[in-house]
Amino acid sequence: MKKVLIASLILAPHIAYAADTSIVGNVQTRCLITTDTNGVFGNPLPSKLSTASADGGVVPVVRYDVTLADAYLAKVTTPTAFSASPSLSDSVTWTGSTAVSKTSDAAMSGYEAAKVTYGSTTQFDLTKAGSTWFSSTATAVYGVSKSFPGGSYTAIVLAECIAK
Amino acid sequence: MRLFIVALAASLMASQAHSEYLYGITGNMAGTGHTWGMNIGPSGSQSLKINGVYYQYTPVKNTEDDMVVHVRNKRFGTNEYIFSSTDDWSGLAGGIPITKGFIIDNLPIELWGDGSIDVEGSGSVIDANVVYSYKYKNDCLTPMSDPSCSGYIDAVLAMMGESKIEVYDPLADENIADVIDEKAELDEDVQQEDEEKAEAKDRLQRMLSGVNDSILYANVTSQNLLMFAMSRSNNLNPYYDKTLSGGTYKETVVLDGGQLADNKKGARAGLAQQILHTKMVSMQYEPTE
Repeated sequence: MKKVLIASLILAPHIAYAADTSIVGNVQTRCLITTDTNGVFGNPLPSKLSTASADGGVVPVVRYDVTLADAYLAKVTTPTAFSASPSLSDSVTWTGSTAVSKTSDAAMSGYEAAKVTYGSTTQFDLTKAGSTWFSSTATAVYGVSKSFPGGSYTAIVLAECIAK
Repeated sequence: MRLFIVALAASLMASQAHSEYLYGITGNMAGTGHTWGMNIGPSGSQSLKINGVYYQYTPVKNTEDDMVVHVRNKRFGTNEYIFSSTDDWSGLAGGIPITKGFIIDNLPIELWGDGSIDVEGSGSVIDANVVYSYKYKNDCLTPMSDPSCSGYIDAVLAMMGESKIEVYDPLADENIADVIDEKAELDEDVQQEDEEKAEAKDRLQRMLSGVNDSILYANVTSQNLLMFAMSRSNNLNPYYDKTLSGGTYKETVVLDGGQLADNKKGARAGLAQQILHTKMVSMQYEPTE
């Protein structure tokens, strides 16, 4: 024990002259999200806004480019509120869904079957490297068959890439 | 798919925008039979090279079935493939479109044989779309682009033969001719005015000078007349003042004998002249030989 103390005393002067050394590192993104197609609301009924093409809308599409397999989860959340709209005095009921619309690899065809949905969020396990396109539908219904006030309506689809 | 292809093609173009090549993409080459020829690019283009292949299709199959899809092009004149991409769908779900893009190292079109989508196993392919991007030189799309192009001389000669050279003659231009005529008329009017002014001035000067001359001449004449009258008075007056001495001039010659005798010599000379005159007058009535 003494020997240890002595050793400590001997080392003590050296500790007094120590310097901080930084460590720098860059992490390149291996998951890139790109908006492929901007969505548009159709207005098939006075009380309904919908991105479905049958309703006169355009389905928004986002593309995930992953260069590292089995490292990320894709989470796509359909809107539950307008980010911009005229003043609304009644409630809006939202429904939405997200699906794989296109892949760059046959092995990604299982993404759709393996997806997990909770609330308005759909989660995909990106087990393969490559590009995957996800399309989301969103429908908003105002009150009980109540007409939406005239104006511009905007809603957001949130696309996230979560590291496993 | 189309946007994706265009974006990729645009990126390829941007990297070589300064080169002498032009770039393009084909339409969907995959027909209903899923086979196609490689007649692509502008006709007559030289050095056409494939620099990208993009395809998309939707597999239709049962998940448990084995299925392999080949998208490929044969190497021209052989049974080998110059491009081949295989998707193994065995044990995988169908129904979701697949999209793939490949950058090709500028392989000349002469090497590319027919293309096809071949399916092995159980299942099929729908909504197939195969697109090629390419680049080419624009040098000889028209033979006159460069003297080295075949048909250059013929094209030049044909153009010279067909072309009608129109030379612009400003004097034949109606507008210019009208302007010139108007200016000429204006100049003529101005010149005429000047001449009339000059003539009037000259006439006035002459008239004024005539008046001056007349006045001067009248003065001279009147002075001359005055001088003549004055001198005449001086010259004639002395004659009026002369008087004859005695008042009359008396006859002083007296005829001797009181008779004046005939002049015989004179009578002979007068008769001879009369005879000669008569003879001469008669001569003009004598017949000539």
